Amino acid sequence: MSKGALAQGRFEAIEAYLLGSMPAADRVRFEQELNTDPELRAEVAMQRENMLAVELGGMQRSLRSIMAQDEERGSTGWGHFLKYAAAVAVLLIGGLWWFSRPPLNERLYAEFHQTDPGLPVPMSATRNPAFQDAMVAYKLGDYQEAADKWNKLLPASPGNDTLNYYIANAQLAKGNAAGAIPLYKAVANDPASAFHEKAKWFLFLSLLHEGRYEEMRALGMERDGTYGERVRQIEDKIGQ
Amino acid sequence: MEQKAAADILFFSAWAEALVRNDPGTLKKLYALHFPTVKQYVQRNSGTAEDARDVFQDAITVLWLKAKDGTLQQNTEPGAFLFRVSKNKWLDRVRSAAQRTMTVVPVEHTGAPDDVETVDLEERIQRLIQVYDRMDEHCRTVLGRFYFQREDMATIAQAMGVTEESIRTIKYRCMMKLRAFRKHIADGGKETEP
Repeated sequence: MSKGALAQGRFEAIEAYLLGSMPAADRVRFEQELNTDPELRAEVAMQRENMLAVELGGMQRSLRSIMAQDEERGSTGWGHFLKYAAAVAVLLIGGLWWFSRPPLNERLYAEFHQTDPGLPVPMSATRNPAFQDAMVAYKLGDYQEAADKWNKLLPASPGNDTLNYYIANAQLAKGNAAGAIPLYKAVANDPASAFHEKAKWFLFLSLLHEGRYEEMRALGMERDGTYGERVRQIEDKIGQ
Repeated sequence: MEQKAAADILFFSAWAEALVRNDPGTLKKLYALHFPTVKQYVQRNSGTAEDARDVFQDAITVLWLKAKDGTLQQNTEPGAFLFRVSKNKWLDRVRSAAQRTMTVVPVEHTGAPDDVETVDLEERIQRLIQVYDRMDEHCRTVLGRFYFQREDMATIAQAMGVTEESIRTIKYRCMMKLRAFRKHIADGGKETEP
């Protein structure tokens, strides 16, 4: 490489060559020069590494940002810690808490609701890539992004139980129980669906969240083999 | 169109190409799909989530650089690649810590497949990081937007409230600083004195 300065025009020619934006005729001439000029070859190699250093720094920054977002979401999993912290706060502020606490249905909802973890997404999957892409967003906790992506697929297959079920899950996870209810109903009313039982349970929870107890009880889930015990606990508390 | 783009990313050549063009969605996807396995392994072997993030970042960097160099084998499965590099890096750290404390720890290094040989790459990655670390924040922003995010100069100029000509000059000056630093190192100078 040259010991002296590199003129801006020369720098930009090397840059254009490395970025593939050099016109074809110029490229042929440049490559001929490369073949005969070892200084130019060294200069090109160095500039490539410097550009790569910038890209590597950018890539690592992006990755750290993704990791930080994920960690931030993970920190909300300190539910148990927060529960104990809340209990201490209750002891300290006593009656004030009693009058300012959330309604019973919301507390029960918070106690029993756990977001469906989603379906596995293999990197090599080639079927339904748009669906899988949304599933990745869902698993990362980007529920709005996931719902938006799945909603785009819905017009092509409006009765698809998987789509309806996961859009409903995304809606419920971001707090829109009212929006999730019709979607869960569609799946819960289809006994052939693989998501039938789970949709019924999440419909039950959505109705609980909205305080629509009559509709909730009308689902008749007390004897459900999987969810019956939890349903009875909730209904007992609601009935008190 | 959107479905096709998503489908492309899932094929080998496409995910590698997406990594080469610094597609942020691919980075996010690799992290979402493969970090949990690495984290589980590190945590089961005396490490923390932070340790797992460190080794995973190292592994992604190796994968990224091999994709950039075009040296990834055609059948490379990114999950297996990232896990093996992460695992080897974690075992190296455990071994290194054990040596410092004179503790004998029976740690077996996983034999790496051909495309996971990383020794030469490690040194190169360190040099690249050394170069990146030399830049001030202003240069990182301008060069990062141009070379990493692939934004055109008009977009960068508009975002930064300056003219395209200014961005062109800033880019040139920043790259010349890196060039001077590299030449200084090549001439045997110390890292801290450009």
